Amino acid sequence: MEADRVFAYNTGMRRLPRSPLFVLVEYVLALLLVGLTTGLLHLFGSVLDTQIATVGYLVPVVVSTLAWGLGPGIVAALAAFFAFNYFFIEPRFTLLVARPQDWLVLAAFLAIAVLVSQLLGRTRSALSAAQQREHEAMRLYEFSTALARQRTDQSIARTVAQYALDTFQADQVEVLVEASGDQAPSSVCLPPDRSAASDRPPTSIAPLLTAGGLQGEIRLWLDRAALLPAEDRLLRTFATQSALALERARLARSETRARVAEESDRLKTALLSSVSHELRTPLAAIKAAVTSLRSGAVERQSIARDELLATIEEETDQLNTLVGNLLDMSRIEAGVLKPQRSWNDLEEIVGAALARLKQAARHHRLEIAVPEDLPLIPVDFVQIQQVLINLIGNSLKYSPEGSPIRVEATPRDPDVVMVRVINHGPSMPEQHLDRIFDKFYRVTAADRVTGTGLGLSICKGIVEAHGGRIWAENLTDGLAFNFTLPLRAKDLPPLKNVLHDG
Amino acid sequence: MTQSTHILVIDDEPQILRALKTILTERHFQVTTASRGEEGLALAAAQPPDVIILDLSLPDMDGFEVCARLREWTSVPIIVLSVRDHERDKVMALDKGADDYLTKPFGIEELLARIRVALRHAAQAQAQSMSTVIRAGLLEINLIDHIVKRGGEEIKLTATEFKLLAYLAAHAGRILTHQAILSHVWDPADVDHVEYLRVYMRQLRKKLEDDPDQPQFLITEPGVGYRLLADE
Repeated sequence: MEADRVFAYNTGMRRLPRSPLFVLVEYVLALLLVGLTTGLLHLFGSVLDTQIATVGYLVPVVVSTLAWGLGPGIVAALAAFFAFNYFFIEPRFTLLVARPQDWLVLAAFLAIAVLVSQLLGRTRSALSAAQQREHEAMRLYEFSTALARQRTDQSIARTVAQYALDTFQADQVEVLVEASGDQAPSSVCLPPDRSAASDRPPTSIAPLLTAGGLQGEIRLWLDRAALLPAEDRLLRTFATQSALALERARLARSETRARVAEESDRLKTALLSSVSHELRTPLAAIKAAVTSLRSGAVERQSIARDELLATIEEETDQLNTLVGNLLDMSRIEAGVLKPQRSWNDLEEIVGAALARLKQAARHHRLEIAVPEDLPLIPVDFVQIQQVLINLIGNSLKYSPEGSPIRVEATPRDPDVVMVRVINHGPSMPEQHLDRIFDKFYRVTAADRVTGTGLGLSICKGIVEAHGGRIWAENLTDGLAFNFTLPLRAKDLPPLKNVLHDG
Repeated sequence: MTQSTHILVIDDEPQILRALKTILTERHFQVTTASRGEEGLALAAAQPPDVIILDLSLPDMDGFEVCARLREWTSVPIIVLSVRDHERDKVMALDKGADDYLTKPFGIEELLARIRVALRHAAQAQAQSMSTVIRAGLLEINLIDHIVKRGGEEIKLTATEFKLLAYLAAHAGRILTHQAILSHVWDPADVDHVEYLRVYMRQLRKKLEDDPDQPQFLITEPGVGYRLLADE
């Protein structure tokens, strides 16, 4: 986890306290440099031109300023001035100046040396400040990146606390997050035991504020009295970033909730409109047939009468099927579809499914291929029968008359049996293969589409409640519905060898 | 089925009562109706019917309770009405003494077939005479000689297979629950071993049915039990 990484940067914002001894050393070094330059100039200058000395003495001034700052730089300038006068201006080895133009040279040198020192000093500070700002920016960048990855209030708070602890080298950091929506207020404290803070009040507190209001607070306990202004600025920036991250996370959660609610509404609307249509269609047919029979417009012993009566019976059966589908789907949705398992013969279940589809299947060829030695399977008879009815029914609807529909079973490894319902209907485009088991999903515009669109999703609910898997597969000349069923069940006594008798 | 066969229908749905009364009266049955369990029990005692059609979802009593109470003093055939997905209720009613069941919505031919079967078995029980030979299509089951023939040819069955077939045949046309079959053909201690039934029914189908996958006589009633459909 991001927040657990140890950030190895020294922030560079905190400098070690500078003891007076250190400061003194820097000045001494500056003087030594001047001395060194004098020595060097002597060595190389039998031709002791004042011009070379002028330039040469600027070197220790520049070096001192760059290395140790404005103070040592000025000291070096003054020392160089005097050394220059003493060693190189006539008369030598005195501080007296013989020629008037040499005064000018000396004055010019001093002015230049001091100016150079000043300029360099400022540049050095500016560079240091720039580096510091770069460092701040870097920290802020890393912090923002780490924050962007967090989704929950808790993980955001944790990231903030970790970064704050490292960046400000605090003894203790506490990040508090206000309650919002259904999330309770929370807090993260690093290090988790509160020993470092003891009973002190926090050294610094930064509120997490956005347009949306107060999102929380960062509390720092430091080993020093206060933050430097630059540190304080960085802390405020952390605070703003954190507040924004919290707000973003909250908005994302609301958006998800809104989307879920919208999707749920969409499904409910689809359900209602589908149910309304599907239930009313057979009712319309029945009403039309019955009213015309009652109106006396149809001859008593006519073919028309027989047809109308047949329609009424068929549509009644269709309504019954639809109501059954709705109830099954409701049970699945409510989570009360618990299979009542017992040992069953798969072939028998297939036979029972076919018995229910006798009328509908009269124009198709049905093939059953269940191996002789397939063991009994631990399933709910009625539910698996329903799965087969729905899959075979679906195949009957979409495959051409006269084409074969095959139901086969194959044991797969010792614990699973795979059942396939294979038809010679049209193949399905790849992107639909997964989604046909969704509620109400329709591959558009198949003619004569009837039913509630729930059949396949009911199969999925039942198969999965049995611990199996269901999927559709395109074949070269048709479509296969495949599903697996476990061959073992924990809650059933094991099969005994049944076949021994006289 | 005589002119004066008396059917008592106990159902709280007025539409069902009306429809059944009309249809059954047209078929020359004498029909009385009751819309509550207590009412039904009282009527059954006052004017004993030949068959009772009982809906399991009554407002004042459980259908099973009505069955149990009836069975305390009468062996009149009881056919229960229930809906799909209530298999457990059907099994319970059958175990409490009902003779058969129908799932709503049902066709009238189905109902009449059940009534006929129920009356036949009741008559046989009364006369203490049983059919000795049961015929179902090409099958001929001789319960005395323990011989089964198919299209005239004898089929060899094991002892248990025959016992199972005989039990179904003795109750030809009627539903028998898994538990009832296991209890009679095997042992009351074996009532949970449905696997025995599955295996043996499969064997019987293989030996006796033209297409074991689409049986004509040895019918599975999902979630409830088995029924042998014989010629009437």
